Amino acid sequence: MMKKIQVIGYPLFFVVMALLPAVLDSRWLVVATTFVIFTIVALSQDVILGKAGMFNMGQALFFGLGAYTTAILNSVYGWPMLATLPVAIIIPALFGIVLAGPIIHLRGDYLLVVTIGFNIVFIQAVQNNLGGVTGGPNGIFGLEMLQIPGMGAFQEAAPYYAALFVLLLTLFIIRNLESSKAGRALHYLREDDLAAGSIGINTRVYKIFAFGVGAGIAGMAGTVFANQYSAVSPEAFNFLQSVLFFSIVIVGGSSVPGILLGVFVMFVLPEIFREFATWRYFIFGFAMIFTMILRPRGLWPAKFGRIPKAFLEKGGNHGQQ
Amino acid sequence: MASNDLVLTNVTKRFGGLVAVDDLSFTVQQGQIYGLIGPNGAGKTTVFNCITGIHPCEEGSVLWCGEEIRLLPTHKIVQMGIVRTFQTIRLFGQMSVAENVMSGRHIKSSQSWWNGIIHTPSSKRDETANWQVVFEMLDFFDLTEFAASTVSSLPYGIQRRVEMARAMAVEPKLLILDEPAAGLNDNETQTLIETIYRIRDKGITILLIEHDMDLVMEVTEYLTVINFGSKIAEGNPGEIQENPAVIEAYLGSEDDDF
Repeated sequence: MMKKIQVIGYPLFFVVMALLPAVLDSRWLVVATTFVIFTIVALSQDVILGKAGMFNMGQALFFGLGAYTTAILNSVYGWPMLATLPVAIIIPALFGIVLAGPIIHLRGDYLLVVTIGFNIVFIQAVQNNLGGVTGGPNGIFGLEMLQIPGMGAFQEAAPYYAALFVLLLTLFIIRNLESSKAGRALHYLREDDLAAGSIGINTRVYKIFAFGVGAGIAGMAGTVFANQYSAVSPEAFNFLQSVLFFSIVIVGGSSVPGILLGVFVMFVLPEIFREFATWRYFIFGFAMIFTMILRPRGLWPAKFGRIPKAFLEKGGNHGQQ
Repeated sequence: MASNDLVLTNVTKRFGGLVAVDDLSFTVQQGQIYGLIGPNGAGKTTVFNCITGIHPCEEGSVLWCGEEIRLLPTHKIVQMGIVRTFQTIRLFGQMSVAENVMSGRHIKSSQSWWNGIIHTPSSKRDETANWQVVFEMLDFFDLTEFAASTVSSLPYGIQRRVEMARAMAVEPKLLILDEPAAGLNDNETQTLIETIYRIRDKGITILLIEHDMDLVMEVTEYLTVINFGSKIAEGNPGEIQENPAVIEAYLGSEDDDF
């Protein structure tokens, strides 16, 4: 069942996503682009919160750091958009590592409060025009936009496809993570970090690793976000955004389909019900309340048992003997 | 004295005013099956926590292969070949049996941190080789049929075996078992005894805490008895059974304990 969804589901998902701009008007194209970008950030949050089990409530900080890195390099130093991408991955990743280092031993709610603090410090820094390059409360405007050659008539959809490409890249990384020693180590330390230490896993290093990877992916999402609006402003990365990413992972569950569902419920549904004005955020609250009561591990929880097929078949035969 | 011995000298561990382990010394020789016994609350598990770095002791020394490991962090001690199981089973409950055992391969795997982002041909080979070892280990513990089962859904006796398989996947030189027979029925205990011998036959030293006296007297070659954190006797099982101090402190209260 799971295998079927993976084999058929992902290509189908990407085909549908690739064709989506053809049927959407410009408002819904913006929603779709944001959906893709938020999915990337939520996947990055999932590395830290879902896989490694650390209560990080400051993911918007890394998202914003990536966006601001791109915006500053583009507007102040005139770098082309694409060239800023590697820097927008590396700087948030380094910040993730440096910030996580001293706080990684904190558990649960303590870590949560510290990461909220980080997020607020970041917002204050950019709002107060740190170094004279962040543009203060208004942010940075008039960034160059990525052009996709040969798509002159369809240029409106360029940010969407850029975001979709980055999502593909993120899913590739997540897949590799799941089938590697480092990725499994994250699951082990979420389940029981004393036991993980007792079989030789350096829990500190892998917790910091989770922050590094999560921050890097969020930074990448920041670049496409800056590209989408050709602008960045502080309120897009404030504490409330972190709450959104946090609750997407909790509501959706720590799996790729879960994250997609989470972003849909927490972001797309409120957009669909826009005619109900601010009432639409009711869904936001109710989604959190009911999933926690009815499905405490999320709408589509993580599935384990990822054992290479060759070995599993051998195991199955043995069981029948 | 062989070099692969575990030597505890005057180990003392305090929790606030409570002296949990008091001036304890003993030597586990290479290849031995060594038992640490004592009444409930005697401080046996605390001794294990001192050896494995979970609660480092304040005084004394813990020598392993001639090196002082008293203040090393747990994962370093594991890398030196000391692996333990827990009295209360500590498995990764949501994950499958094979994934739990795979965790033991962590320090044997040659993958770097960046292989978590991009795989290389060598990281893929390493991954396959480690799964191979995992399935050999599952075979050794007769767990193959449960490979894909979620650990928390399995009976207690099987979970105990999974925990031992996970520890063995690390390829330890010294295996520390904290009450391996707790919660097992007679059949399972018998299998456990055979398994302990098979592990010893692989050249692995075993140090165990156990309340099941039949098991202790049968498998161990040498014993240390502690009460209130300090040693009251040591010797081979025969000597211990006849030691008056042990009978008074421990076997004398058999009715209470068992």
